[in-house]
Amino acid sequence: MSFVIGVLGLAIMTALACTLPGTFLVLRRQAMLVDAISHAILPGIVAGYFFTHDLSSPLLIVGAAAAGLAVVSGSEVLRRSGLITGDAPQGLVFPALFSLGIILISAEFTDIHLDTHTVLVGDLNLAAFDQLTIAGVSFGPQYLYVMAGLALINAAFLAVCYRPLTTQSFDDEFARSAGLRGGMVSALFMLLTAITVTTAFYAAGAVLTLALIIVPPATALLISRRVPRFIVWSLAVAVGGAAGGFAVSYLFDAPTSAGMAVFYAAIFAVVFIVRELVNRPKRAPRAQRAETHTDSPAI
Amino acid sequence: MTTINDVAITVARLTVAYGTNVVLHDVNAAFATATITGIIGPNGAGKSTLLKAMLRLVPPITGRVVFFGRPLDEVRQQVGYIPQTSAVDWDYPATVYDVVRMGTYRKLGLLRRTRADDRTAIAQAMEDTGIADLAGRPIGQLSGGQRQRTFLARTLAARPDVLIMDEPFQGIDAASQHAIIELLRSLRDRGKTIIIVHHDLLTVGAICDEVLILGAEKMVSGTVHAVLTAENIRRAYGLDDDVTFLPGVPS
Repeated sequence: MSFVIGVLGLAIMTALACTLPGTFLVLRRQAMLVDAISHAILPGIVAGYFFTHDLSSPLLIVGAAAAGLAVVSGSEVLRRSGLITGDAPQGLVFPALFSLGIILISAEFTDIHLDTHTVLVGDLNLAAFDQLTIAGVSFGPQYLYVMAGLALINAAFLAVCYRPLTTQSFDDEFARSAGLRGGMVSALFMLLTAITVTTAFYAAGAVLTLALIIVPPATALLISRRVPRFIVWSLAVAVGGAAGGFAVSYLFDAPTSAGMAVFYAAIFAVVFIVRELVNRPKRAPRAQRAETHTDSPAI
Repeated sequence: MTTINDVAITVARLTVAYGTNVVLHDVNAAFATATITGIIGPNGAGKSTLLKAMLRLVPPITGRVVFFGRPLDEVRQQVGYIPQTSAVDWDYPATVYDVVRMGTYRKLGLLRRTRADDRTAIAQAMEDTGIADLAGRPIGQLSGGQRQRTFLARTLAARPDVLIMDEPFQGIDAASQHAIIELLRSLRDRGKTIIIVHHDLLTVGAICDEVLILGAEKMVSGTVHAVLTAENIRRAYGLDDDVTFLPGVPS
């Protein structure tokens, strides 16, 4: 496999692996949790490096995923307490963890290249450097197969837990009253999200990972009115955006991650504008209906 | 509470607090089988909290709730909850059918296929609530009354024996209210136990067989005729003696 094709494959597979959990993150209105996770994982990476002194060690990913889980469960505990609402709990947890990572870096590892650039931007081309070679034949980047495995796990989880995931993301109280084991599904979902963010992070960096997870589902939500079609559209936007973004950065010799993130934003903008233009005549009656819904309570 | 019907649900010494704010203190209640019970009371009296504590959606500090002599976990399939329609995001990508089908998910589990029997339950629930012709409609396009019917159908699709409804008549039109009341009566006549949180004192007597008044002081419960008195209402809502009521509220 040629190197360019390998990087393109890695880009598409990373996009697919990220979009799958992204669909339900968007439906659950927890999109920005990804941002919190992606910042919080820094101390995990530093701790992993502390033990291994190897930037490509899998222990870094384990440490990072653990830190990601810490932000998820930490903010969940704060939220359950009922004392802090909205997404404020995340805001309390992740800056502390991120800053802890910064302190660790400046105290211990000033001599090595473990800085915010490596952490935030990532580089698909670097991630694609280690090739999978069997009997002298190259099968493309090793990391392509890591992301493919992750995409498979995510897809299997969504397929098996489709019912509780949809019920819960639409109406959590009903799901809990029906005893749909929402807590367990939620915990697994968050674990997979933390692992996905961490794994994608190495290839794509924090900013592109956030875009890969959120933009395709957010775009698909504009054009689909049922969950299965919403998921299919999300995956389509993910593939199209990854391929298109990769082509643009290749042609203009721009950084791949940045090119892809910008291309994703462009797709969203185009879909948003087209939808607004198409829906314009229908807007007035819709707004009126919304008013009649919010009747003031009788007596 | 009543001698005619068996007791379906017993609430014993239930106390619930949010932080240090005690919302329900030592509540005892019994709900009779095949009756419609209205829970009324001023804002903040803990009406919704009582429902949620009965369903373990909020953890009680103390107390026991028993359905048909058994704890909730053993009878969940028989107990249906209908939250306030304002509690969810109606821009969610789903049709009316998709939402009603969620009522069968507990029975089906994760992977079992929807069978003819389940499809019958879904179709029957939509028929009973008068939304059969809306099956394919995106839920974002529903009126307030249609939303409430959709929620009711979702719960009926599980074929429960108990229906617990939080403010079912909030923000809906008169036609939907009438249709839902008729449906609740026919469900009661078929032996279902129905509990609704209600805030309209003028209609509670017409809709409900029994009433439970949660108020600032001691809660009272019993048949509408015995309990829904001007004195009880004044006490629960903290009103002065010279406040008078429209015809319809027994004095």
